[in-house]
Amino acid sequence: MQEVLRSLHRFWPEVVLTVGLLVVVLVDTIRVRGRDVATWLLTMATLAAAFVLSARLGAQSTGLFEGMLALDPMGIFFKLLLIGSSLLVVGAFRFDGSRELRGLGQGEFYALMLAVTFSNLLLAAANDLAMLYLALEMVSITSYVIVAYLKGDRLSNEASLKYILFGAVSTGAMLYGLSLLYGMTGSTSLPVIRQVLAAGLTDANRLTVYVVALLVFAGFGFKTASVPFHFWCPDVYQGAPTPVTAFLSVAPKAAGFAIMLRFFFSGMAVEGTGAWDLAGTIDWPHVLMLVSVLTMTVGNVAALTQTNMKRLLAYSSIAHAGYIMMGVVALSENGARGMMVYLLAYVFMNLGAFLVVTLVHNQDGTFDLRDYPGLSRRAPLLTVAMAIFLLSLMGIPPLVGFMGKLYVFAAIIEKGSSYWWFAVVGAVNAAIAAFYYARILKTMIIDSGNEEKPAFRLPLADSAWIVLLVLGNVVPLFLWSHIETLTRASLSLYAGR
Amino acid sequence: MIGLPHYLTVSAALFTLGLLGVLTRRNAVNVLMGIELILNSANLNLVAFSRYGTGNLQGQLFAVFVVVIAAAEVAVALAIVLTLYRLRRTPNLDEADFLRG
Repeated sequence: MQEVLRSLHRFWPEVVLTVGLLVVVLVDTIRVRGRDVATWLLTMATLAAAFVLSARLGAQSTGLFEGMLALDPMGIFFKLLLIGSSLLVVGAFRFDGSRELRGLGQGEFYALMLAVTFSNLLLAAANDLAMLYLALEMVSITSYVIVAYLKGDRLSNEASLKYILFGAVSTGAMLYGLSLLYGMTGSTSLPVIRQVLAAGLTDANRLTVYVVALLVFAGFGFKTASVPFHFWCPDVYQGAPTPVTAFLSVAPKAAGFAIMLRFFFSGMAVEGTGAWDLAGTIDWPHVLMLVSVLTMTVGNVAALTQTNMKRLLAYSSIAHAGYIMMGVVALSENGARGMMVYLLAYVFMNLGAFLVVTLVHNQDGTFDLRDYPGLSRRAPLLTVAMAIFLLSLMGIPPLVGFMGKLYVFAAIIEKGSSYWWFAVVGAVNAAIAAFYYARILKTMIIDSGNEEKPAFRLPLADSAWIVLLVLGNVVPLFLWSHIETLTRASLSLYAGR
Repeated sequence: MIGLPHYLTVSAALFTLGLLGVLTRRNAVNVLMGIELILNSANLNLVAFSRYGTGNLQGQLFAVFVVVIAAAEVAVALAIVLTLYRLRRTPNLDEADFLRG
């Protein structure tokens, strides 16, 4: 009882999200005019309150609920990132004006968004195998529902079906791996597992650890859309409503990377930050390096030939998962920091690109790149914004995307000359990516066409959100010393029971 | 005397059968049955380890949670299979091919 009360005191963001979720569901049942605005305001207020409460949690590390969840600076960083991205999605992707979502239940949508956010927070903080699996499935199941949100739409339903079948198999394989890990170490608590593994293994058990790690990676790979568990990604991103696509490409991916870091560090590494050489039994860097190289290459090469913008950005997000994984490969403090910086940048640049795609669809009803010519004349603000988002995704110097790439590449290069080829592959991939991002810009700015289409009406609220996201790509550079201190302070993970 | 190895063998067989079912079946409902087999093989592992190996109850507790999760997952999956069936009158997965490229 004492423990629960003590933990609840540190659990306020999640409690607020749950209460907000219930209130939104209740308000949605009252049939009055202005109900949609009320649910939107409630959702925004809930997320904002959770954001503020997370920021005020304090820096000391501790376990919550008998060590089921960990509360530590890195967890708080991810809490802020996850709640912040939900806040941006709920705010920027508005229902009125949307061709896809107009007329559908708004309250349910926001309730689901709050549910995914809540389970994302649990996933990023899980410190126990049972909690890890529970949170991962919670994120997945709520995502399946929200992907199928366009009830009468075949694409949306097909996307959700593919997502659910792929997800269930991946997480099922992961669960089998977790059960073996439990049998081998006799505990479901990550820190205890680390102690048992660090005490030494017989040869037979060493083989089992390999198998377990591969099976567990199926779950993480699915959440972060890494090769070879990326097949669902393009289909789901194309079929889902665009706001959901934008959200899925950012938040669950960040939570997946958070738990990957936590699992490998608090479950399988030697104690103490900085000494991440994993018990000396598994050649982790090389396995992960291969995954990372394949992920970025497959994503970038497949994106080259796409003409559907949602599908193109889906492949691009697979490629970005590859870059982010470079931070995991480095298995160092700087690698973890590179990941955090990259994810922070990724939230602003990717949500921005998806917002532009949504706004073009609201106006013209198309996701096809071949309908994009002439946009620079019809919607100059949108084109300039898209240019900034795409340049940021490319990693062009004055924007945050560049800082993300700088940090992960630096973390890899400082690991020594045996890692340099990996950095070279990353750089070549960035060049391939620059090609298809530049192709979008060329279509929007240089190509002619669509002169007869009506003028582009951009509502004031949408312009404001676009400008905000553009600022998110530029302003952090002027506050870099703060981000530097924030990420450095966020490096510690809770490692106790 | 039946011991831990027997349970592990059965669960490995269940896992393989489930995976085979997922990979070879065309009907979405059959695929869901394969997924259930995978989840239950892990459950069997957890309970067997808890009984014979580790001497604590964490595994059995974990298994209870897995049962609940499996039920929730199948509920959502069946709902989606049903809406898809209403839209195109077939439960077969290889005809769900609008999204490709």
